This record gives sequence, C-alpha cells and structure tokens, in this order.
Amino acid sequence: MILPHVQSLVLLLQEPTTGFTAETVGARPEVVERGLFFLNLAYTTVWVILALYIATLSIRLRRLSRQVARLKERAGL
Amino acid sequence: MERSPGTTDAGPAARAERLLLPAVAVLVPICLYVVFRTVPTESRMGVVQRIFYFHVPSAFAGFLGVGLCALFSALYLWRRNRRLDLWAHASAEVSVLFFTIVLLTGPIWARPVWGVWWTGEVRLTSTLVLWLLYAGYLVLRSSAESPEQGARFCAILGIVGALDVPIIYYSVTWWRGLHPRVLKVSGGQGLDPGMERALLLCSITFILLCLFLILFRVRVGQLQDDVEALSLAARSSAGPVETA
Repeated sequence: MILPHVQSLVLLLQEPTTGFTAETVGARPEVVERGLFFLNLAYTTVWVILALYIATLSIRLRRLSRQVARLKERAGL
Repeated sequence: MERSPGTTDAGPAARAERLLLPAVAVLVPICLYVVFRTVPTESRMGVVQRIFYFHVPSAFAGFLGVGLCALFSALYLWRRNRRLDLWAHASAEVSVLFFTIVLLTGPIWARPVWGVWWTGEVRLTSTLVLWLLYAGYLVLRSSAESPEQGARFCAILGIVGALDVPIIYYSVTWWRGLHPRVLKVSGGQGLDPGMERALLLCSITFILLCLFLILFRVRVGQLQDDVEALSLAARSSAGPVETA
C-alpha cells in the first residue's frame, strides 16, 4: 500500500536539484489550469505589445509619407 | 550616398527589411507550433515554463538592441553622422520594447513558480535598471534643447547603459541569484535537447524580429527627417506651411 508512494518519493529524490528536465509528468489538473492561466497571460502580453508597437510605427510611417508627399507637392518637386 | 528627401531607400537596409519581414512571418507560427506542440513539458514547473521560450529570446533581442545602440552611439560620437544617430535611436527604442516584454513576462512566470511577482533578486533589479536607463534615453532625446545636444547626450547614455549588460549576464554567478541559469546549469543536466532546439529557434526568430523592427524604425526616423527638411525648405522659400 505504501509502496507506490515510496516509489514516487524515490523518483522525486532522483530529480536533479537544478536545471530543467524534460520528463512529462501527469500534473494535477488544478496545477495545469493555473499554469495555463499564467502562460496565456504571458503570451497575450508579448503579442499585444509587439502588435501595438508595429501598429504605431505603421501609422506614423503612413502619416509621415502623406506629409512628405504634400510638402513635395507644395514645393513643386 | 545621400538619399533625397521622401524617396524610399533602395540600399542594403531596405533590402534586408524586405527579406526579414517574410522570414519573421514564417518563423513565428513555426515557433508557436514548436513551443506548444513539440517541446516536452518541464517536470516541476509544468506548462508555465513555456513562457521561457519567449521570455529568454526577448532578452537576447533586447541585448542585441542595446549592443547596436552602444555601437552606433560610439560611431556617432566619432563621425557625427545623423544617420548613425538614427540607428542608435531606433536600436534603443526597440531594446526598450523587448526589455518591457522581459520585465512583464518574468513576473508572470515568477508568480506561480516563486510565489511572488517581483523580488529584489540581482538579475531582476539590474534588468530593471537597464530598462530605466534606455527609457531615460528616449525621454532625454525628446526633451533636449536641440537635436544635436540630445543626440550627443543620448550617445553617451547609450554607451554607459550597455555596461549593465555584463552585470545582468553574470549576476546569477557573481551574486548567486535566484534566477535560473539559462544557458548552462552547473550540477544539473542542462536543457533537454528538444527544449534547447526550441530555444534556439525562438531566439533566431526574435533576433530577426528585432532587426526588422530596428530597420522599420530607422525608416520612420528618415521620413521624420525628410518632413523636417522639406518643411524648412518650404518655410524659407514660401512662408509658413502646415506640418502637423
């Protein structure tokens, strides 16, 4: 009865103390759900920031291009 | 070669920008597929560890921006060429963007793993200092009395700010910080090969994205200069004109 728990403990102790390992484990659903919330938050943050910056640059570029065209037209270039 | 105002630069920078955009557009979905479908789940942190694949490459991209800013700032102080200043400014702005991502995704990872959003850990603090230095660079540029003065002061700040990069990189070793060592884990097994490949792919993608954004920002800066030059020419020849 205790054997599976002992085996789990042995496996835990065998894990390296530092660094990432790649063993896929069956994590508890609530832990996975919590992790997914933070993962979603992080990825949304990354793409929102990048999208906002690119959109800002694109708007500035278009506005400046129009200004250049207008000024060149006025100058008769 | 001097570029006439309002014309599109057909030089190597423009060609590189045209090549980088499709490359990034192809690589980003591949990165997302690899990160969410093929990379194994880390055994202790679980799915939240996948933040790592965009957090660390963002830091690499930010470091590249800082390095380029310092390089172009040094060249500007030597040659006093406006184009070099434009490149330094674009690099600084893009590095602030990537370090903003680093400073936001880091706490999002830290909350479930460390139990706190932020701690006085040395790598975190030194990264925040770097962000503040380059955010200050952008503020200083916009608040300088003249563009030349702003460029000169910012060039000095751009070089001084880059001195924080080795402090950030070696902080975990020098002060035994809490932050995980990304590239080499002493006493552990290091990264799994699958994780290493994903990190490499994401790092390449973010570095290309960083270069694309710098080139894009340089183009915007060039057009801004063109508007100012044309406005000045128009004012001197035919009175005041609307530039807003």
